[in-house]
Amino acid sequence: MVIESDIPQFAEWVGLAARNWLIALGCLAAIGVLFGFLVATLRHGPGSALRITVGVLRNALADIGGISPRRVLALARLAVKEAIRRRVVVAFAVFILVLLFAGWFLDPGSSDPARLYLGFVLTTTSYLVLLLVLFLSALSLPADITSRTLHTVVTKPVRSSEIVLGRMLGFTAMGTGLLVVMGLTSYVFVVRGLSHTHTLGDDDLAAVSQTAAEVGGKVTQTGQTSRVHSHRHKVTIEPSGYHEVDSANGHSHELQIDTSRGAPVYHLGPPQGALLARVPVYGKLRFRDREGADTEKGINVGDEWFYRSYIQGGSPASAIWTFTGITPERFPDGLPVEMSIGVFRTFKGNIEKGVFGSLSLRNPKTGLTVETEVFESREFETKEVYLPRQIKSFSSAQVIPRRLVTPSGEQTIPSPDQINPALAEKKQFDLYEDLVAEGEVEVWLRCLEPAQYFGAGQPDLYLRARDASFALNFAKGYLGIWLQMVLIVGFGVMFSTFLSGPVAMVATLGALVGGMFSGFLTDLAWGKVLGGGPIEALIRLVTQQNQITEMDPGLRTEAAQMLDRVLQYFLWAISAILPPFGEFNYADYVAYGFDISGDLMLVRLFSAAAYLLPVFLAGYFFLKTREVAR
Amino acid sequence: MHSSTTQTDSPPASTTQTEVVIETRNLTKVYRDFWGRQKVRALKALDLEIRRGEIFGLLGPNGSGKTTTIKLLLGLLFPTSGQALVFGREATDVTKNERIGYLPEESYLYRFLNAEETLDFYGRLFNMPSAIRRQRAADLIEMVGLTKTKRRQLKEYSKGMTRRIALAQALINDPELVVLDEPTTGLDPIGTREMKDLILRLRDEGKTILMCSHLLADVQDVCDRIGILYQGELKELGRVDSLLKVRDVTEIRTTTLSEAAKEEIQQVVRRHGGEVQFMGNPTTTLEELFLHIIRESEAHPGRRVRGGADSNGH
Ligand SMILES: Nc1ncnc2c1ncn2[C@@H]1O[C@H](COP(=O)(O)OP(=O)(O)O)[C@@H](O)[C@H]1O
Ligand SMILES: [Mg+2]
Repeated sequence: MVIESDIPQFAEWVGLAARNWLIALGCLAAIGVLFGFLVATLRHGPGSALRITVGVLRNALADIGGISPRRVLALARLAVKEAIRRRVVVAFAVFILVLLFAGWFLDPGSSDPARLYLGFVLTTTSYLVLLLVLFLSALSLPADITSRTLHTVVTKPVRSSEIVLGRMLGFTAMGTGLLVVMGLTSYVFVVRGLSHTHTLGDDDLAAVSQTAAEVGGKVTQTGQTSRVHSHRHKVTIEPSGYHEVDSANGHSHELQIDTSRGAPVYHLGPPQGALLARVPVYGKLRFRDREGADTEKGINVGDEWFYRSYIQGGSPASAIWTFTGITPERFPDGLPVEMSIGVFRTFKGNIEKGVFGSLSLRNPKTGLTVETEVFESREFETKEVYLPRQIKSFSSAQVIPRRLVTPSGEQTIPSPDQINPALAEKKQFDLYEDLVAEGEVEVWLRCLEPAQYFGAGQPDLYLRARDASFALNFAKGYLGIWLQMVLIVGFGVMFSTFLSGPVAMVATLGALVGGMFSGFLTDLAWGKVLGGGPIEALIRLVTQQNQITEMDPGLRTEAAQMLDRVLQYFLWAISAILPPFGEFNYADYVAYGFDISGDLMLVRLFSAAAYLLPVFLAGYFFLKTREVAR
Repeated sequence: MHSSTTQTDSPPASTTQTEVVIETRNLTKVYRDFWGRQKVRALKALDLEIRRGEIFGLLGPNGSGKTTTIKLLLGLLFPTSGQALVFGREATDVTKNERIGYLPEESYLYRFLNAEETLDFYGRLFNMPSAIRRQRAADLIEMVGLTKTKRRQLKEYSKGMTRRIALAQALINDPELVVLDEPTTGLDPIGTREMKDLILRLRDEGKTILMCSHLLADVQDVCDRIGILYQGELKELGRVDSLLKVRDVTEIRTTTLSEAAKEEIQQVVRRHGGEVQFMGNPTTTLEELFLHIIRESEAHPGRRVRGGADSNGH
């Protein structure tokens, strides 16, 4: 999987995020109050407008402070009943139907069936549930207003805040129930869809070689299992009874050999390792340039906003990940490294052949660097490399100081007088004795072929800690959909407090789509997209100009760029306000078998809550200040 | 609270001593369209005072602004100018609703709930504890005579049944002020009679009642005081009995007389400078008054009652 943005650490994130949130909330509140004041002025004149505005704000405190749980729950229950009356079950029936059809079309024999199945169920569930709550939440309040049932409700001591909150809670509860049922169904569907086993008979096995050392009249046997789901597994059985079933299509099977009745009977278990949740341990990435000095970034090979930096082959240039917290308890046997590296070829050569690179381990204190692994890499192929605890074979060992070139001069770590080349003169290295210093170790990636480049971003290389529970990860994936659902409910109810049903639905959908592309909007706002801002881009489009050439200087260009600047702030404001719906989508993590970290969950949970509070407040104010009986 | 029944029997002087429950000052409502253009002036500078323990009737033809007045008093609409106060609080203050029961013009209830669920739901909105809620719901269902059908969804109810459950809903909180918008529409004659009896019973329990209707008979039978609205203007305001007293006409009612006796009476009247206009059975005079007001307003638009003081006839 290609994760294109850094995974935030909750503790680092929360402070800054909270500050930005408070600023944004303050600005929005100020704009809201000003807007309310202006509207009141237009209606009642400036004198009473001030009185009205202050009154509304004071009322708001009472209305939000005095929310009664019993009333909110009553309204939430009503929303659930309404949803049931609107035949929510139909959505579930559709889901079951889709799964039944999918059972025919999803190919369990594809090269990564788990990804196919998981991606499918997560996408289907999220589309169905999100669409459903979009309908429910956006249509409910307007329906109550047109049928005037709301008149009977608001003439009870019900606060507008309770009406908005009750609706939000009710539809959330409804969606939650639906998600739980769909989640369980999906889990069963995936496990059953992937489930299979192979057979292995005596005829499938053959002795490896007649000359191989015989152990008690036995030889090493190898063979292939039967073909199920368009694949076979290679099986090796050693004379000692030790056996191995090779992995195919992302999984393997356990082999049991029953010799109790003379001739061995082979029995293969269910697929193993198909559904997993890798726990990546990420390091901090820096680079070393061709001269061997430290840099923040590598070389840019074109797309300057791509997060990956490149290192030149056949030079000292390296991408360096520093890992912390490396202890024998966490990694008792060595470091399992997984990486997917970008390969940029300046000449094509043999495309079938990969580009050679190497991995080294370096002690950040002493500078001892041991090149342990040479490998061949293809573009974005996920490679698994095991760096053992006892390093007996290695291609080179040397002490390399880290060179920092700053404007005030050059500095090396360790300093020249502390460099001890003798450290490298050993036959065998121990990971924890020689290479890890205070839990820290560096992994160096180099490209060995001149004129070829490797590209890497921080999440591209990681250590793989012990796998987490897949079922839990699957649930976390559904929690991501749940967060999206809650946001849609929030926006839907908020818009429905002042818009008619269909318009509220379109508005919510607009917020959803805008939020999905909020990253693009931000880039557009800051002119990071080729071809300038929206107006400039439009002119280029109409006049069929190239995206890169400078526009003719002149009044027209000036005006267009000026307008763009205004639009850019507007776009920026919008992109900053809309929730980045896409970021709440964990489907890829689950489908590609990556554990969704607690940090990620916390960050998303808090940002969803951060969006919901102002959405709720806006809904309250809109409903409070509208005439229900119009 | 219960002494109010006796007070309303006596002339206006004593009503000034009881608490004002509803007060409107110069209350005006202009309906505007989306662009803020004026569409209808539905209510024009209404001044009204309704006191604890009385049954006040708003009378007027369709579209005269009765429902608009009620919605303004309940905070469902915001006044264009002027003020509406209920229990001394702004009409938009939701806490006043604790003491109000409202029966809307049509029964705006959730049709997918049954009678029990409906009452339970509205009871919860009053934050009533479940035991009280259940007791109250059972009593009310009994009172409106829906015990047999209480488990059926409201969408299966007839118009009269819906009206009854709507009434029960309005009384769930044992309100001090009951606001009834056209309480008898959709009811058969027996239902109408029951409704009127109920209104009187509520008044006897010390509740204040504001009702509006276009049916003269309803108002005449139960209301202590009435206001007549026509095209958003308050045309008449006063006690029903005094409004119907025609000051410049003296009516004599006797047991059946002989022709000679009638002739003698006419002579006596003539001797005192009077003139006998009519001798026979009296008519339902509210209808007459009503039609008279409408004729008057068409002849002299703009003449109306102001200041909330009781006026006695014309
Ligand atoms: N929501 C509305 N928008 C525009 N005009 C309205 C609205 N509601 C009522 N009106 C108008 O206001 C006037 C008074 O209506 P209403 O108070 O309902 O009368 P009543 O209850 O006495 O029959 C009528 O002319 C009606 O058409
Ligand atoms: Mg009406």
